[in-house]
Amino acid sequence: MMPIMQIGPIAVPVPAFLIILGIWLGLALSERHISRFGLSSDLLFNLVLVSFVSGVIGARLAYLLRYPQAFTGSLRDIFSRNLGLFDPFVGGVVSLVVSAIYAQRKRLALRSTLDAITPALAVFAIALNLSHLASGDAYGVPANLPWSITLWGAQRHPTQIYQTIAALLILGYLWPGRKLVANFKPGEYFLRFATLTVASSLFLEGFRGDSSLLPGGFRLAQILAWLSLAFCLYAIGRLIPDTGPK
Amino acid sequence: MRIKVNWNTTSILILLVGAAWIWLSRVPSLSASANGKVAPHPGFQAPDFTLQTSQGEMVTLSDLRGQAVIINLWASWCPPCRVEMPELQKVYQAYHDQGLQVLAVNVTSQDDTQAAVKFSAQLGLTFPILLDLDGDVSRAYRLQSLPTTYFVDRDGIIQDVVVGGPMAEALLRVRVENLLVKVGS
Repeated sequence: MMPIMQIGPIAVPVPAFLIILGIWLGLALSERHISRFGLSSDLLFNLVLVSFVSGVIGARLAYLLRYPQAFTGSLRDIFSRNLGLFDPFVGGVVSLVVSAIYAQRKRLALRSTLDAITPALAVFAIALNLSHLASGDAYGVPANLPWSITLWGAQRHPTQIYQTIAALLILGYLWPGRKLVANFKPGEYFLRFATLTVASSLFLEGFRGDSSLLPGGFRLAQILAWLSLAFCLYAIGRLIPDTGPK
Repeated sequence: MRIKVNWNTTSILILLVGAAWIWLSRVPSLSASANGKVAPHPGFQAPDFTLQTSQGEMVTLSDLRGQAVIINLWASWCPPCRVEMPELQKVYQAYHDQGLQVLAVNVTSQDDTQAAVKFSAQLGLTFPILLDLDGDVSRAYRLQSLPTTYFVDRDGIIQDVVVGGPMAEALLRVRVENLLVKVGS
């Protein structure tokens, strides 16, 4: 665990640094293979920019509307850099909606666009899990295993490492330069990534010690992952032709 | 057709295995995740401490059980710490009557007591300034960066941690109101 890295007088927050690095490397990987999906790198970067800006504005506005009384005494806080003054869920929804509108206006095919950003998402997943390892978030349940790590006063499953390994394996399997990927139908690349990601989340969430729980002790993230997995499997099934090779 | 049938069968099997794993990995009701363990992280019991204030009084965190507590680790030479102190004072004044306590733990092992006392007097801070003379509290809270702020609920559980600063007044107000809702519940 290393939440802060001191470089001279500057304290660098390692989790945030890893996430920014993941976004940068991911976009670079997507850009390198963009021609395969029939998109231009300019369009990809514009889409990411639109998605990011709309997400940030949406997240701040949502927070402002949710807690207007908190800002009445200090209107300048509307423009505060504090990350805690964002509503990430609403920001994500706004970002998706605005990106979809932008993609439609630019006549981008949904499936090819999703395929084009898949390498970026796969790299980002690795960075996100490493950021959890640095911050100590997403920690595991206590367990006495030879590979347990000491975290928050107990020996625990190293869930952040499990999830990083899973994300690395998924990226390795779906590396955009592989011949396998060239044979995918439009949309299949993204769907395979999503299927593997939610399947690994469903499995590895069972070792987490910080899950949000539903009545009966069920883990909310597992239920959501199971529903997403069902959707992904159904969507991949739709890509398989009704008549197989004779 | 055969490929499609195989895919559908495989999908159903995968989903059944997934559902079984969800059932098997349920969390027994009595073994909540943190389960009363002490650690400086959200969801865990805040590490207890007793420190002397700049006025010479002793303050123990566990004595404040039942109140919402903000623990702010700071130093007088740290610019963001200095910027956010007036915001902490405003929030303390606004919510103290509703059950909020602010403990400003000066990391005295890396600071100068006189400078800390002078700074708090200049700003007219009315919440207790605690002196962590030997750095025990900084170590217990695994302090990595100044300022670091812990939001502790009435049960002594850390609900949120903000590393770095300065914190905006709006951020403090929302965090405190969420803590106070728990106090009233």
